[in-house]
Amino acid sequence: MGHYREMLGRYVFTQRRLLIWLAVLLLVSIALQLVNPQVIRYFIDTAQGEGSLNALYYAAAIFIGFSLIQQVISVCAAYYSENLGWTTTNRLRADLVEHCLSLDMTFHKSNTSGTLIERVDGDVNALANFFSSFMIHLLGNILLMLGILLLLFRENIWIGAAMSLFVVGAVFAIQWIRKFTVPVWTKWRAQNAELYGFIGEHLEGTEDTRANGAAGYVMNRFYDLSRRMLPVRIRAFMGFGMMWSTTIFVFALGNAAAFLVCAWLWKRGELTIGSVYLVFYYTELLAKPIEKIRTQLEDLQKADASLIRVRDLLSTKPQITDGPGAPLPAGPLSVQFNGLTFSYEADGEPTLRHLDLSLKPGQTLGLLGRTGSGKSTLARLLLRFYDPQEGSIELSGVDIRDCKLHELRSGVAMVTQNIEIMEGTVRDNLSLFDEEINDAEILSVLKELGLEEWFASLPDGLDTVLASGGGSLSAGEAQLLAFARVFLSDPGLVILDEASSRLDPLTENRIEAAISRLLEERTCIMIAHRLSTVQRADQILILENGQIVENGPRAELARDPQSRFSRMLAVGLEEVLA
Amino acid sequence: MNTRHFFWRLLLYRPVFYFSNLFAWMVIHMAPLLPGLITKAFFDHLEGTYDFPYGIWGIAALLVGAALARIALIAGGFWTDANFRFRISTLLRRNMLAHVLKEPGAKAIPCSPGEAISNFRDDVDHTEEAMSWSVDMFGLIGFVIVSSYILISIDAQMTFFVFVPLILVVTAAQIATTRVQKYRAASRAATAKVTSSISEMFSNVQAIQVAGAETRIVRRFERLSDERRQSMVKDKLITEALSSVFTNSVNLGTGLILVLAGYKMRSGSFTVGDLSLFIYYLTFVTQLISNVGNFMTYYKQMAISFGRLKDMLQGASARILTAPAFIGLGKRRAAAAETAGAGGVREQGDGGRSASGEAAVGDAMRTTAKARREEDRLGADVAGTVQADPLQVLEVRGLTYRYPETGRGIQGIDLRLERGSFTVITGMIGSGKTTLLRALLGLLPAEGGEIAWNGRRVETPADFFVPPQSAYTAQIPRLYSDKLRNNILLGLPGTDGSLEQALHAAVMEDDVAQLQHGLDTMVGPRGVKLSGGQVQRTAAARMLVRDAQLYVFDDLSSALDVETERKLWERLFRDRGEATCLVVSHRKAALSHADHIIVLKDGTIEAEGTAEQLLAVSPSFRQLWHGEESHAGAK
Repeated sequence: MGHYREMLGRYVFTQRRLLIWLAVLLLVSIALQLVNPQVIRYFIDTAQGEGSLNALYYAAAIFIGFSLIQQVISVCAAYYSENLGWTTTNRLRADLVEHCLSLDMTFHKSNTSGTLIERVDGDVNALANFFSSFMIHLLGNILLMLGILLLLFRENIWIGAAMSLFVVGAVFAIQWIRKFTVPVWTKWRAQNAELYGFIGEHLEGTEDTRANGAAGYVMNRFYDLSRRMLPVRIRAFMGFGMMWSTTIFVFALGNAAAFLVCAWLWKRGELTIGSVYLVFYYTELLAKPIEKIRTQLEDLQKADASLIRVRDLLSTKPQITDGPGAPLPAGPLSVQFNGLTFSYEADGEPTLRHLDLSLKPGQTLGLLGRTGSGKSTLARLLLRFYDPQEGSIELSGVDIRDCKLHELRSGVAMVTQNIEIMEGTVRDNLSLFDEEINDAEILSVLKELGLEEWFASLPDGLDTVLASGGGSLSAGEAQLLAFARVFLSDPGLVILDEASSRLDPLTENRIEAAISRLLEERTCIMIAHRLSTVQRADQILILENGQIVENGPRAELARDPQSRFSRMLAVGLEEVLA
Repeated sequence: MNTRHFFWRLLLYRPVFYFSNLFAWMVIHMAPLLPGLITKAFFDHLEGTYDFPYGIWGIAALLVGAALARIALIAGGFWTDANFRFRISTLLRRNMLAHVLKEPGAKAIPCSPGEAISNFRDDVDHTEEAMSWSVDMFGLIGFVIVSSYILISIDAQMTFFVFVPLILVVTAAQIATTRVQKYRAASRAATAKVTSSISEMFSNVQAIQVAGAETRIVRRFERLSDERRQSMVKDKLITEALSSVFTNSVNLGTGLILVLAGYKMRSGSFTVGDLSLFIYYLTFVTQLISNVGNFMTYYKQMAISFGRLKDMLQGASARILTAPAFIGLGKRRAAAAETAGAGGVREQGDGGRSASGEAAVGDAMRTTAKARREEDRLGADVAGTVQADPLQVLEVRGLTYRYPETGRGIQGIDLRLERGSFTVITGMIGSGKTTLLRALLGLLPAEGGEIAWNGRRVETPADFFVPPQSAYTAQIPRLYSDKLRNNILLGLPGTDGSLEQALHAAVMEDDVAQLQHGLDTMVGPRGVKLSGGQVQRTAAARMLVRDAQLYVFDDLSSALDVETERKLWERLFRDRGEATCLVVSHRKAALSHADHIIVLKDGTIEAEGTAEQLLAVSPSFRQLWHGEESHAGAK
């Protein structure tokens, strides 16, 4: 129960006003539900006697009036409870999102955006009822049930006793029958998952199936599944029928018992006919709270699994945390690696080994090496997506582990070959929702990157909505927008990770000038797989299996015929590295 | 075919189940008539206006007896309902799946597999619900007729004044509920915005973290969430207001009865028993009206789902969906329907006949091993529908296919494959290599061009290029969640040692030996995860185990290490015998063995010849040849 209390305390109990309103409405509604049968009793008993009919009409009017008030109340209660549910779960969703965004890449590598949707939205939706009306409805229905029993006791102790016995029996019987039905539904759901898994696989594998003439195999597997599913489906439905049947049977027994006790008391003259009807009415009314309490408890069970998952997610600690907040100087940054060793898995083969490097402010480093040599890893370490196991990285003399993460990342920018366009306007994509960046700045950057023509073709200018993943953009345009982002955030160190690899030679020439502008007054690390890209580098570093095999000023290396770099220039990058 | 026809044709697939279900639920819905009458008898007995012959104990026993009878009916009703629902939804899914497997393999569905699964699941489920709820609607009619008769015979005036306004109000509310789609659509759109923003955030998490934009992104997410809350609450308010009309209609009706009954009860013409009966039936009338409402909602949903299912068929007749077919239960009768794809839809109206045979589910349980064997044989029959002469020469002229989305593809490709030749297609990424293979094999519907097998024109490549003519390995082969053995055989018997041969040729034998359960290991998405190279070699074995004249493989070695690749090519060249090969590859091992190489660029043939010739004349071939190592490194 501890974790329920914690979550409720954090999200629900803080919404005191909504809660109080909801509770008041519910109490009134319970009172009305309890009072109305009394009105009928009064009506029946009065109808048996003599005298003016007016009293009967008043009773009927009161009954109708109460019913209408109750209707209004139930609508209001639904409104408040829905509002409460969404307000609280939205807060939880936002907390989850914020938390997940603070987690590092180790987490995001193992959790796709699909599973995160399921956990941020799916699991939280399952908690909606628990967060909104669960407590109030559960308490309300228990109150209603107790109220009915109390009023029955007030009629006659024997009636109260018989009906209390009935309620206990009913709850027990309904719980007991659930034992048989729930497992079948679980099995049915598992079979369904299997069926859709099977269909999904084959929808993806149509090429293999079709061209190898295996349609018969697929259909036979489908028939096999269908043969296995039918009996389970029938049993699941029968189980559902059994639940319903149990309710019907239990209430028939309850009514029969009420009839017997009432008839006995009636004969002894202890009950009026109106009171007999009252007992009958309350017995029927008891079905509702019993059913509601059952479904609420069931919801709680369902919510439980989600609640545990949500708590697990919230308690996942990021491996990379903020440093004490050493400030980075403005302007170009120097870069210093001291004996850097890093591996992705704790006891795995190191991806980078004892790396030492120093880069002066404003210089450009060309980083070469074949795939898997550790180039991109180096970039990730500079942005603290991971921390090295040994050694350190210093930017202008500051160990990056001493910086606040967001300060580090506003000082260091990276452009990769991935297209990272979000659904949203061009402005949002360029400024990443930073409202301090004004349109004039954005426009001047676009101009600088030669995107004027592209911009002019946009129907709504900066408000044009881009599709997720940049569907409407060419790969080159998407890449240029990524450059634009860097211009706007004005960092002191820029990392270009094969950034121009998607550009055709023509576009690449076009942005040469833009890159030159970008590198003015900035330090830069260029990760490249083409030699032309590193022509502007001041320093060259060649990595192989996580180790430096060559490092020095570009011009010097190019002159030295023994260097790998000059061999590369002569015969091509790939032949040397292979 | 419109929704009504769709409904009717589904009903006719298993009419016996449908009508027994209809009968069962009509009786179930009418069953509450009895407890109402018993309650009335109880009050009348107490008051002495009516003397029940077996006394109070008799009434109590009767009440329990009526409940037991209703329970028995419910058991029957759920049995017929489960049977009918399962059969029609399975039929729909079977027909959709069979259709998808007949479409050109690379374009079998017009949407992503994820969306198609939702067609298979949600749209079929909606249809099933609508079919099933129609039964409840008819049940209402029975209840209303009988209860009106009883109530009118007690007090016609009261019946009229209470039930007519009530039914009108509830029906109006019900219609309004089905019509209030505006708010529903708005809240759904708001939800879609929230989920897509979550997906956006986490697919671009690195960009967000690099830019330090976390807080701003969360603020935006909160804004979207709040918009969703507002539209959700609005939606809820409307639906709740309408549905409260139902829940409260019993109370309002009771109030109306009280207003009218006061005078009559005083005069003695209306007993407490009558009052109880009126109020009792009231509950059920409103409940049943909401059943009709449910049916209306589901029927509308079914119309939408039907539209979506039709879209899945990519232009084929919607009759395919409801064509009667074997669904794995009972004996297979309509086996021929399996092969009907090429000739269009078979219009065999034997739904009624087969339904009667299947009325007993016991049949399904009793499906014997014998029937199973028969099926497997039939399944194998399907694979071998076409049998052509041994390949002498395969000619392709002017083959053209362009992807409608991008306009890219292949154009005017000419190709000639001699018996026993080894042809390699190569070219840069995006030059159309895979498209060429797909268009040739009919996995994409060619826009133009001719394919001739031994000089005879191939009319429907998709039906022709299957074993024993050809077999194929896709660029990204898919394994299914099944045993490794079945993944390779895909329904072939594989008893004659052909499986072992294929495993050897595909250099798979050591991998199989290392798996704990060997060929019986469960693989695929739900089983043991094989490495990329193992998946490719399994697919190669899948192709090689099929005795075909033409083997087509797309980039077979892209995930293999050098040593395995060398073995693979070696064994392939040694063992393939007379078989003809058409291969997409960049690898020198393949290129240097080739009899003929075709270099593609931007969807057309840029150069062709042997490796030597091409090295001399084609600059882009030289680039590919020299650039090979870098590709190998990149992979």
